Amino acid sequence: MPTETPRKQFQSPKKPKQSPNNVKSQSSTPSIHLSPQTPQLPLRRSSRRSLQLFTSKTVDEMLDLSTPRKALEALDGIGKCSGNNRKGSSVRTPRTLKCKFNEEDREIPEMGKVGEGNGEVSPEALESKKRKNGLSEEGSVKMGKSPKCKLNEDLGKLGEGNGDVVSPEKRKKGLRNEESVKTRKSLRCKLSEEEMEIPDLGKLGDATFFPVSPQALESKKRKKGGEKRAVTRAMATRSLKKVNKEEKKGRKRVYYKKVVYDGGEFEVGDDVYVKRREDASSDDEVPEMEECRVCFKVGKGVMIECDDCLGGFHLKCLTPPLKEVPDGDWVCGFCQARKLGKDVEFPKPPEGKKRVRTLREKLLASDLWAARIESLWKEVDGSYWFRGRWYIIPEETASGRQPHNLKRELYRTNDFADIEMESIIRQCDVMSPKEYAKANDQGDDVFLCEYEYDIQWHSFKRLAEIDNDEDGECANGDEDWNSCKEDDSDTDEDMEYEEENERNAHARPSTTHQLAANSRKGRFFGIQKVGTKMIPEHVRCHKQTELERAKATLLLATLPKSLPCRNKEMEEITTFVKGAICDDQCLGRCLYIHGVPGTGKTMSVLAVMRNIKSEVDAGSIRPYCFVEVNGLKLAAPENIYTVIYEALTGHRVSWKKALQLLNERFSDGKKIAKGDDRPCILLIDELDLLVTRNQSVLYNILDWPTKPHSKLIVIGIANTMDLPEKLLPRISSRMGIQRLCFGPYNYQQLQEIISSRLKGIDAFEKQAVEFASRKVAAISGDARRALEICRRAAEIADYNMKNQISSVNSSTVKDVVTMADVDAAIQEMFQAPHVQVMKSCSKLSKIFLTAMVYELYKTGMGETTFEKLAMTCSCLCTSNGEAFPGWDTLLKVGCKLGECRIILCEAGDRHRVQKLQLNFPSDDVAFALKDSKDLPWLAKYL
Amino acid sequence: MGREKEKEKLSEKALNLLRSRLSDPNFIFRPLSDSPDSNYSKLKFIISTSVTEACNNSILLLGPRGSGKVAVLELVLSDLLQQYPEAISVIRLNGLLHSDDNCALKEIARQLCMEHQLLFSKVASFDDNSQFMIAMLRECGLAHKTIIFVLDEFDFFAQGKQRLLYSLLDAMQSVNSQAVVIGVSCRLDVDQLLEKRVRSRFSHRKLLFLSPSKEDTERFIEHILSLPMDSSLPHNYAAEFNGRLKKLLSDERFKELIDTYLSFNFTIGHLVRFLFQAVSYMDLSAGFLSLGNFKTALSSNQRQPKLECIRDCSVLELYMMVCMKRLEVKEQASYNFYSVMTEYKSIHDSFQTSDYYAANVCLRAFEHLLQCQLISFIDNKGHNQSVEFRPVKLLISSAELHQGLKSYQQCPAILLKLMDR
Repeated sequence: MPTETPRKQFQSPKKPKQSPNNVKSQSSTPSIHLSPQTPQLPLRRSSRRSLQLFTSKTVDEMLDLSTPRKALEALDGIGKCSGNNRKGSSVRTPRTLKCKFNEEDREIPEMGKVGEGNGEVSPEALESKKRKNGLSEEGSVKMGKSPKCKLNEDLGKLGEGNGDVVSPEKRKKGLRNEESVKTRKSLRCKLSEEEMEIPDLGKLGDATFFPVSPQALESKKRKKGGEKRAVTRAMATRSLKKVNKEEKKGRKRVYYKKVVYDGGEFEVGDDVYVKRREDASSDDEVPEMEECRVCFKVGKGVMIECDDCLGGFHLKCLTPPLKEVPDGDWVCGFCQARKLGKDVEFPKPPEGKKRVRTLREKLLASDLWAARIESLWKEVDGSYWFRGRWYIIPEETASGRQPHNLKRELYRTNDFADIEMESIIRQCDVMSPKEYAKANDQGDDVFLCEYEYDIQWHSFKRLAEIDNDEDGECANGDEDWNSCKEDDSDTDEDMEYEEENERNAHARPSTTHQLAANSRKGRFFGIQKVGTKMIPEHVRCHKQTELERAKATLLLATLPKSLPCRNKEMEEITTFVKGAICDDQCLGRCLYIHGVPGTGKTMSVLAVMRNIKSEVDAGSIRPYCFVEVNGLKLAAPENIYTVIYEALTGHRVSWKKALQLLNERFSDGKKIAKGDDRPCILLIDELDLLVTRNQSVLYNILDWPTKPHSKLIVIGIANTMDLPEKLLPRISSRMGIQRLCFGPYNYQQLQEIISSRLKGIDAFEKQAVEFASRKVAAISGDARRALEICRRAAEIADYNMKNQISSVNSSTVKDVVTMADVDAAIQEMFQAPHVQVMKSCSKLSKIFLTAMVYELYKTGMGETTFEKLAMTCSCLCTSNGEAFPGWDTLLKVGCKLGECRIILCEAGDRHRVQKLQLNFPSDDVAFALKDSKDLPWLAKYL
Repeated sequence: MGREKEKEKLSEKALNLLRSRLSDPNFIFRPLSDSPDSNYSKLKFIISTSVTEACNNSILLLGPRGSGKVAVLELVLSDLLQQYPEAISVIRLNGLLHSDDNCALKEIARQLCMEHQLLFSKVASFDDNSQFMIAMLRECGLAHKTIIFVLDEFDFFAQGKQRLLYSLLDAMQSVNSQAVVIGVSCRLDVDQLLEKRVRSRFSHRKLLFLSPSKEDTERFIEHILSLPMDSSLPHNYAAEFNGRLKKLLSDERFKELIDTYLSFNFTIGHLVRFLFQAVSYMDLSAGFLSLGNFKTALSSNQRQPKLECIRDCSVLELYMMVCMKRLEVKEQASYNFYSVMTEYKSIHDSFQTSDYYAANVCLRAFEHLLQCQLISFIDNKGHNQSVEFRPVKLLISSAELHQGLKSYQQCPAILLKLMDR
């Protein structure tokens, strides 16, 4: 077993490249293709695929060696040691390995399984007929007695030569059997003669693996969130450790990230076509290219796709012929004619030539299925399986095809199945709407998937932008850094435990054992129920106007693409964090960030952490764990211990226990679990909320970083600049050393923030944005406020526009946010509404307020009693010819004003001695009441 | 006789119709909601954009009590629930009931569970509930469902640490959900109560509910009180009813009467209550609304409880109050039963009144005054002291007392004289 050092050496991000010559020479060796391949298979292989086919390595090398290059070298080694009949490095080691396995477990008819393993999986079978599986164990045994088995044995003998390199994949037999039965149950296998012809063994030989390393991820075609990578990597790590151990314990499934199988390269996350059982034999030939619907020939020039019937047309076959593909939607003449109510017949194919359906057509006619590969593994018996997540077409959902469904739309389901690799036809491309919009000429196998369909509840749910953000996996994500040092004593149990968990997770919905949704133990049980039965039409069919796009981009919840105006601060945070992580000792680092609300404190820190995380993924920084706590979201300050501990270990304990455990970890340097020696970054938002009477919580947290082995970095965020000074000196000495101030934004910065969000959207007058930002900068410098003003202004403009359209059918309505709209938004936001209320309130209330002001002027005292005020009121009334309503009525009026907080008053039962005070400046009252129409005489008292 | 009964039946029917209209907010606020300037259409626009454009919003509905904040909101919600039956779930909280953050979050979790047929656990902690809420917000956002949080008596939520508001609004700025937080309050300064962090996250949309203008009020009264011509009521009866109503509405005296009422109760809710009262006074045998009905209703609204209390008092009690008043004139700030008794005795000594009672009788009168809340203790201290030693104060002003004495039928002349001196 290699030690850690060579691994590190080989963690170069280079991907191995083999020269084509080499490949050719390899492919010419007879040992590679032991059996002939079906004629159609090479057809669909691109040259690139075949290239990758030969970068194959052995299982064990992959497990031992983290980089392809290393693997290649090892390959050489194997070739040499076993190579009595091999030519150099072109040894097809995988096969020898496989044979080796067979040697070990001769009684297991693995190859037989492979032989019959054109395992067809149908969702129906999974849903309903799991018990009635077509094939029994005996069947597979029988199949195992195929001539290939012999071949196998021969190879097995060959393989014996390099037994020292190869570790047999053993498994406890009982476990294995159970496994195979289980998977078997979930599959309905069917043999068709056609598929029998496919040389399974040859395929097996082809099925090779890529070593898993961070670098291997780089070769992915698809972009994925960082989380996803962590997951896959964790899986790979698991399998790595497992195989290390297999020598002792026996064999298991081996999980892979990427498999080259039958000429295609499949990796976790790929979407593939899957054969359906009833697949008619007439459709067996699969055209790579679609035929033109007019001339029924393939190739020859550019084809255009009709957006309605999805038929392909040569540009030159159209009438009139097109020169180039037009922008936007294009509908073929047949569909146009059909829409107009005409009876159209598509041109018939020439006699003797049957129209060949493409895979896409078959899929959309539900003659095929599509699935997404969630995980790949090799069974104990050497057959290759993957866990697929089904896609379904709209017709298969409970609500059927809805009018807004696109032709190429698929839904992802929450239905999983274990499928044998055999049933994969080839890859397809299921895209998110964004990608789909960009995909113009990516062939026929492009599909759109925006929603997930819940097969139990028949409900839809939008796919989250960043899928698979499983926080729990995050912690395992970086294990490969240490996996060699660690003794993997418990991984085996881990695996079984996890499998069991998985099983439970799938069994759970069916059991009637109910868990409460809102308690954490149930992990929000039943939340998957949430979903719409029908996707609302307004979401899909509505085309956003400029104003609506502006509103959407100005939302606080939308994360901007770039974060302008905080570069300096972010740099400072980055250097702080990097310095703290990279420092081997991680001594006592603590950063205090302060600034008024809405100046981007939390956002900057999170952005920095995202950047660093991507660097960790790239491998240039050591992994760390990141814990985020918000002081205001804790029920009590002490709960922070529980939250931190849970975030670190995943266990939930009481805060006292958590404090004790955390103390052990940080102060005494005791390890709670593996991976503890990673540095830990703790972000505490709203730090001032943690201040308790004796300030012990803050002290504990800020004391840990000073301990030698804690490796804890604390970033505290609060609003007040002098929070450290307000605290006990022993705390401020620990916290106040390194500080970062986020000043309020000035108007240029606000303007930049707004206009960076509005880039490409022509909805705002330039002055309007400037006006809003100047106004906010003058008041608070709160970016949230500025964004909200602009959004509100856009909303007002939108509202006015829509009203105008509905009232007058004029098309010349401007859809630009003007100064007036911004002004209206600002008025609404900043102006207190009391003036308007005073203007519209009742006559007596006005007199009451006037009396208050009059009394204030007379006595110079802000506070007065009801008795005095009532006297003034009656004076005012009698001298101006108003009827005095009586004390009790006046009291009621006063109390109502008090309710609105126009005046402050005591409870009404204090009657005569009730104390009253104006809540707003008397000038406001004067302004509001000066020119009231019904009581003009009020002005002289104001 | 039979005809009269018939008529009575008719008028009863009309009365029931009017009453049911007056207690139906839908009928009252619908006609006020057509114009684009109305709060109804503004509020509906804001909420429906959140549904259709998937954005978060927070609005404050402000206005004095009785101005129809909740009624309009309910109208909007019921309309939107009809329009998007699946896409909206409404969570209602009341500040008077759920001002405690913990209990408010629990209630939110409960209602969310109810709405989505999930099992609710009472024992879940604050953290669990808040995480559940955020998870639900996210899920509902993905499922194109809007959650509307209605926080009635919003000012009560804006107390203390404001954890609930913070976690709600913080979720709305970080989760891609579609939720609307609607705060309803009669306090106009409620946004000043918000803590600075919460205020920064709040989107500060405000809708102000004001009372309708005079012209609107008149139209509104006519709209409510006129009988429909196409209902089960006989046509000629309805026509006559409406004719008389029109005449009544154009009557100057009626306008004045409504003005007087509106001069102290100016919100639409109060007006509706007043109309309900007036309609209930309708004479069933006549079958039509008259000015008298409105007059009775107004007078029952303009009652002066303190003066009525004085009318019910005994002469001894009047004496005691006058004594207290005299003590106040002498600038004796605090007095208790014994000091009042001394004054009472001195009056008796100097004027030789016929009404002199023993101390224990006076104590009874004193206690009665306390119960009527014509007098009260100055402070809450000294609960263990007996009543006669605790300092009291007069809750009625001298002007009112004077007025009360004047209207008192068997008031001794000496009392009025004593008042003046």
